[in-house]
Amino acid sequence: MSLQISITPKERAAARFVSRVRRAIQKALAEAEIEHGTNQSDIARAIGVNRSVISRELRGHKDLGLSRVAEFAWAMGRRPSINFEKIAPRTEGANKPLNGGGKPPATATSGDPRNALSSPTSATVVT
Amino acid sequence: MATVLELSTGTNAPLIKLDPSLEEDEQEWRAIYVLARIRARFETDLPTWTSQWSIEQTPAQQMDALVEIFCSGDALTFGHRFKPLNHLGKGIWELKTPDLRFFGWFPHKDCFVGGALDTAFKVKSYNLYAGHAGAVAYFRSQLDLNEPKFVPGDDPSNVVTNFNYP
Repeated sequence: MSLQISITPKERAAARFVSRVRRAIQKALAEAEIEHGTNQSDIARAIGVNRSVISRELRGHKDLGLSRVAEFAWAMGRRPSINFEKIAPRTEGANKPLNGGGKPPATATSGDPRNALSSPTSATVVT
Repeated sequence: MATVLELSTGTNAPLIKLDPSLEEDEQEWRAIYVLARIRARFETDLPTWTSQWSIEQTPAQQMDALVEIFCSGDALTFGHRFKPLNHLGKGIWELKTPDLRFFGWFPHKDCFVGGALDTAFKVKSYNLYAGHAGAVAYFRSQLDLNEPKFVPGDDPSNVVTNFNYP
C-alpha cells in the first residue's frame, strides 16, 4: 500500500523545476562562499537589494523571477543556462508508475506527459 | 515486534509508504512512510492548503518537491543555511518547507516515518511544536516496531546520508 501526493503531472513538473532552480542557486552560493568568501550580503549589495530579500528568495519565502536568477548568477560570476531535455520513454524499472500514472488527480488528463506533447521535454537548469 | 516493511504490508497496515514518483533517472535512496492515521491529512487537507507567503508553489507542490529531494538522496542542504531537517528532541524530527511542517522519526538511517503534518503558519501561531512532537512520540511508542524504534542523536548526519553539500 502506498500514498502519492495529490497533484497533477503539470503541477509536479512546475514544483520540481522551481525547486531545482532555487537549489542550484543555493549550491552555487555555497561554493562561492568556500571559494571566495561570498555571502548573502555581498550578493544583495551587488544586486542592489536588501539582504532580507535575498534571504527570503533563497529560503523559498519569495518567488524568484527569471531576471533575479540571472542577477544571482551574475553576482557570483556565473552564467545560468537552461536546457529542455527530451524525456526518455519510461520502461519497467525506470520508476514507471505501476498503474500507468499513479493516482490520477481530478483535473489531470493523464499522468504521462507524452500525452501532452508529441515530443515531451523536461527543463533542467545549471547555474 | 515487526519491521517497517512488515508494518506497511496489508490492507489495515499502520504504516503507508509514500510514493515519491521519482523521475526515470532517479534512484530511491531514502524512504518516507506515514502513519495511516494521517493519511487523510495528505489526501484531504494538503490539497486544500494555500501558501501563507503567497508564493507560486502550493503546499502540495512544496511537499512533492521535498519528497523528491529527500527520496532521491540529493543533498538536503547547502552550507547548513537552508535546513529542511530539524531535530526537536527525543528522536523527533521535522521536515520543513516554507508552508509545511512534517513531524516524524527515523527508525533507521534514511528512513523517515511521518506522524503529523501541519501548516507552518498554524504550528508557529499556536506554538504546536511540542504538541506535535509529543503526539508523534506517543504514536511511535504505541507502534509494534522493532527496538530500537528510532535512531538517536541530534545531528542530521546521524539520520540521513548526504545531508550537507559540499
